Amino acid sequence: MILARFLGPRVWLLVAALLAAAVLVPLSNLWLPADHPLHVPSHIVPLLGKYVCYALLALALDLVWGHVGILSLGHGAFFALGGYAMGMYLMRQIGPRGVYGNPVLPDFMVFLNWGELPWFWHGFDQFWFAALMVVLVPGLLAFVFGWFAFRSRVTGVYLSIITQALTYALLLAFFRNDMGFGGNNGLTDFKDILGFPIQAGTTRAALFAASCVALALGVLLVGAVTRSKLGSLMTAVRDAESRTRFIGWRPEYVKLFAFTVSAVMAGIAGALYVPQVGIINPGEFAPVNSIEVVVWAAIGGRGTILGPVVGALLVASSKSYFTAVAPDTWLFVLGGLFVFVTLFLPRGIIGTIDHGWTGWRERLKASRAAERGAGAPPAAPPQSPGDLPSPAE
Amino acid sequence: MFKPTQWIRSAVAALMVASTTLSGALAQDAAKPTGEPIKVGVLHSLSGTMAISETTLKDVMLMLIEEQNAKGGLLGRPLEPVVVDPASDWPLFAEQMRTLVSSDKVDVVFCCWTSVSRKSILPVAEELNTVVFYPVQYEGEESSKNIFYTGAAPNQQAIPAVDYLMEEGVERWVLEGTDYVYPRTTNKILEAYLQSKGVAPEDIRVNYTPFGFSDWQTEVAAIKEFGSAGKKTAVVSTVNGDANVPFYKELGNQGVAATDIPVVAFSVGEEELAGIDTAPLVGHLAAWNYFMSVDTPENKAFIDKWHAFIKNDKRVTNDPMEAHYIGFNMWVKAVEKAGTTDPDAVIAALPGIEVPNLTGGISKMLPNHHITKPVLIGEINAEGQFDVVYETDGLVEGDAWSDFLPESKMLTADWTDPVNCGNYNTETKTCGGATAPATSN
Amino acid sequence: MLRQLRLCLALLLAALALAAPAHAQGPDIAAIVAKLGGKISFPDTEAVIAELAATGDPAAERPLRALAAGQLVWRDGDEAVFIATSGAEPTPLLDPVTGADAGTAPKDQLNKIRIKNSIRTAVDDALAGLTLRADDPAMRRRAAENLFAAADPEGIDVLDAALAAETDANVRAVMEQARAAAILKSDRPGADKEAAVTTLTARGDRPALNALTAFAAAAPAGEAQEAAARGAAQIEQTIALWGQAQNIWYGLSLGSVLLLAAIGLAITFGVMGVINMAHGEMVMLGAYTTFVVQEAIRTQVPWLFEWSLAIALPLAFLVSGSVGLVMERGLIRFLYGRPLETLLATFGVSLILQQLVRTIFGPTNREVGNPDWMSGAFQFGQMAITWNRLWIIVFALTVFAALLFALNRTPMGLQMRAVTQNRKMASAMGIRTPFVDAMTFALGSGIAGIAGVALSQIDNVSPDLGGSYIIDSFMVVVFGGVGNLWGTLVGAMTLGIVNKFLEPYAGAVLGKIVVLVLIILFIQKRPRGLFAQKGRFVDA
Repeated sequence: MILARFLGPRVWLLVAALLAAAVLVPLSNLWLPADHPLHVPSHIVPLLGKYVCYALLALALDLVWGHVGILSLGHGAFFALGGYAMGMYLMRQIGPRGVYGNPVLPDFMVFLNWGELPWFWHGFDQFWFAALMVVLVPGLLAFVFGWFAFRSRVTGVYLSIITQALTYALLLAFFRNDMGFGGNNGLTDFKDILGFPIQAGTTRAALFAASCVALALGVLLVGAVTRSKLGSLMTAVRDAESRTRFIGWRPEYVKLFAFTVSAVMAGIAGALYVPQVGIINPGEFAPVNSIEVVVWAAIGGRGTILGPVVGALLVASSKSYFTAVAPDTWLFVLGGLFVFVTLFLPRGIIGTIDHGWTGWRERLKASRAAERGAGAPPAAPPQSPGDLPSPAE
Repeated sequence: MFKPTQWIRSAVAALMVASTTLSGALAQDAAKPTGEPIKVGVLHSLSGTMAISETTLKDVMLMLIEEQNAKGGLLGRPLEPVVVDPASDWPLFAEQMRTLVSSDKVDVVFCCWTSVSRKSILPVAEELNTVVFYPVQYEGEESSKNIFYTGAAPNQQAIPAVDYLMEEGVERWVLEGTDYVYPRTTNKILEAYLQSKGVAPEDIRVNYTPFGFSDWQTEVAAIKEFGSAGKKTAVVSTVNGDANVPFYKELGNQGVAATDIPVVAFSVGEEELAGIDTAPLVGHLAAWNYFMSVDTPENKAFIDKWHAFIKNDKRVTNDPMEAHYIGFNMWVKAVEKAGTTDPDAVIAALPGIEVPNLTGGISKMLPNHHITKPVLIGEINAEGQFDVVYETDGLVEGDAWSDFLPESKMLTADWTDPVNCGNYNTETKTCGGATAPATSN
Repeated sequence: MLRQLRLCLALLLAALALAAPAHAQGPDIAAIVAKLGGKISFPDTEAVIAELAATGDPAAERPLRALAAGQLVWRDGDEAVFIATSGAEPTPLLDPVTGADAGTAPKDQLNKIRIKNSIRTAVDDALAGLTLRADDPAMRRRAAENLFAAADPEGIDVLDAALAAETDANVRAVMEQARAAAILKSDRPGADKEAAVTTLTARGDRPALNALTAFAAAAPAGEAQEAAARGAAQIEQTIALWGQAQNIWYGLSLGSVLLLAAIGLAITFGVMGVINMAHGEMVMLGAYTTFVVQEAIRTQVPWLFEWSLAIALPLAFLVSGSVGLVMERGLIRFLYGRPLETLLATFGVSLILQQLVRTIFGPTNREVGNPDWMSGAFQFGQMAITWNRLWIIVFALTVFAALLFALNRTPMGLQMRAVTQNRKMASAMGIRTPFVDAMTFALGSGIAGIAGVALSQIDNVSPDLGGSYIIDSFMVVVFGGVGNLWGTLVGAMTLGIVNKFLEPYAGAVLGKIVVLVLIILFIQKRPRGLFAQKGRFVDA
């Protein structure tokens, strides 16, 4: 109960919604007859799963951007690294079923004459190892990168640009065939995961459910962190870093913590994404992808937990929809949406709803106070994340 | 505020509405033929980096479908194109492939340009058992039951080109490519092939540049230096897409003339030349299976139809367009032969189907899902077209697995009985690849 | 091998021609040329060329040149051969030997005589034999260069005869080098060879090096052989030095491209603090303006083509500048003080502009031609310097200087700097800050537009043009130090040169990765870039 009050009703509602989706969507897909109005068609399930992974990525970005004020233009890198770790596991699972029938080497290595498995591919035949790497590789990269960057007090735009440089450098590196990650083609043609065939409806449903659970856990984690004392410190770092430093805190450690946790979340999102879309390639490192993540968070409303989730679901699904319905004009729609949201909904969708809600409540209280007469102190605004001032840059 | 189940329900409902409106929106232009339309998926990028090449292929598909409808449709039913935009985003290719088949119920998909997009849709095509036509020259080393490769395999483009240059006295080779799988594989095959013809390893220079590379000064200077060793030198270019224009501009400016160091390209066609002033490039070469300048009645009719359809008589035609022309006609014939659009029946009917190509021959679908094509070598002329300087005697059969790579020389693909698999090992007489005496499928 | 044989033949014939320059009754050129009519194979064409060369008659030059240029045609029916210089309908014809007017013919009755590279080479060789004593020095020089490449001992006598008559010092030098190269392959005495080695060492380029190394490896030990080895080593050293110079040049050239791409951003982002993701699209609009200008010139006033870039420059500035102005008034002015939101909005604008251009001009590359003064290269020592790169460096530096002047020496520049340094104070002093904001943004966008004119000369003109420069541009501005134009200059040049020095060793891809990692590390060392703005800052 304490925890419930601590996190606030919205976080719990979101978690409940996600868990319900994790149960209901697979149920409807697998057991309802195809012509039932509530039946979720099989091709929609991995699509929804993909959106949920995007939502987790947006939530991860929002942890550093919305709550600590670090605008990372390179979160796609952590997502892709997590994805590659999972992809490598899935590649190893193919075993002798590849076109060349080589039990150890993935196909692309066979026809590019790799004699033996490169050292960094070892261990990925074990799921536990791959799972460890999903967490460890993005986390470690973020830790090392953040350690240097935050201690050197690289801030603001400079930090944004070097995160972009990071993902751009990784993009170029993974494009290189000599790196041993399949070059531009990336990793694909997966067969099964943990022994279950990856194409099967049940596996798909399970992956969708797993994504929902991961997102729910992510929401709980971000909710808990931001409502804790550490969360207050994060807000302080975001709004007045120097002042926080002057009163004796070490903002770099707060940032480092948030950045690393966020990278791990992004990596997990990537790992869940790969088996559902069936391919991971260097395109995921493209700087534009990372900017898109920023756009999701901004459209949903940053610093609101619910916002990035809604933003990611909304933008990603409208992209799917418009590329199919209006293949020639969808970029106008998407571009126009970004402009519209920045101009008219600067707090994002959820932020604006919150703002409107609290503003209305304040006005209501003020008018009641006025009715009661002068002397009553004005009510303090409720502590909702939507009230926080926009991050200053 | 809202119930979670409702939220999910409405999300799902919205998506279902999305897919039904899509099919509704495109179903307007009913032609003369009646009955349930046969849906043809057109999956080509209309935005992003590949739009530059793929948009034309979408247009040519619309033209072919319109023409077929004017001829009375197929099996008495009208054809209906379903166009989507995968936006040069590879996972989006897989996603839209799935939607096209599962939701729009298309019977065939004409898809892709890059290898990665093909690799991305391949598992989906196999899972949902869809017929897919792929119209671009590619690296080979693949054969899928569901994919029909109407572009050139390496033995239908790279090897004849090198043979031609050797006849012209070239002894030193620069293999210049963009760093991705098609140039890597092609260069690997060419290296093995050249060495088997007695070219010394120090007479071969291999170099890779990134996608969209635009600063060619250093590399062109290096090519000039490599070519000044006294032996006749040629560049075999697998440079992709956008990087070609700056490459050719730099070649022209640094004065690398075709008579000194000819460049033979596998990815430069009429469409790419349309963006360059070709005067300094006259004499450089390209190897394809079709050129717009080929003088046959079929080609003339095709070009006229294309100009009328696109309403611009300056637009060029190119090799992948011809590949779609062949592929589409093969599919039409196969459906007529099978009497149904059922994928299994069409896949079984396709091998052996023969249709005329635009260069005056008859192309045939082979059991390995590749086709027979002539190989033409053309020199760039000042009008931005190619003058054919060499043509293979007959049609060349596409080979899915290269004979010059040790890993695949014992493999063949044959999707007809009794073999019926894509990686048949002729040494162990089993399916399942090179190394393992695998369980047959 | 084939080429060598052909050259020998040409040389022999040239020797004949030199010995007996005036033919009283030569074989009939017109009769030989007529053999090209009708469908003939490439080897037959080559045979005809050899036959023409064998006449030694300078009159063979006209048909040979027309053949190499692809202008020789034959008519249906009588299979007569003509020169057709245009593809007009009906096509005007010229006599292949005399060049006299030969009437016209419908286009579809004419067949181009097919040529290929080996035909062009055969023609070149034939002409070299015919033209060692041509009137034009450039032609004689080219003939001599051909002989140098062939390095055939048989050619020594021909060269001696030509040298005796040669007056042009440059051509003489090449002839002597050709003679030296031939001597090294002959059985002349050692002293001659030593002299030849000296001549070649003085030439000092890569072909000379190849000739010397080949001689040093093959010849028996002796003074000439040792001299050749020494000469080769010396040339190698010079070439290595020139190689470094060439790298610096390439680096400067790449740097100037980066500078052009980034300099507009240095204003909109560096000075105004707007993260303008649509900056690349401003560059693209400039490139498309050039395309439209050239297209108009091509159809309306073709003689103006050489001036097309000069005409496009102000127009591109206006087009991109006004788009920038509209963006600032309609969008960005609502977002000042929220730089990260400008990122979002301008990202949206960039998508819209890209798709707009794609809708109007189509997704494919559009052709932007190079005027003659932007084409080709000249030799500077052992470096080949291309004109377009040279002009782009000059142009980038000019734009930089002009911008510096505008910001530091004009009243508008003063106001711009005042507003960006202290908006409230500037406003209090009576400066119309919104107007200045709009003008600054328009200036930055306009400069991006003129960068587009320059970039259209070396890169694709496609809707994706902008996207390929945006990341590099941000790197340059941030590396140089936000808000400092000099930083942008030094940043661009440094990145260009470092990149070009890494490229030969690491390859283009790895080189670029290394540069990115270096930028990341550099920012750790100097968190505000190369030229950090001085002043009392707390948080940015």
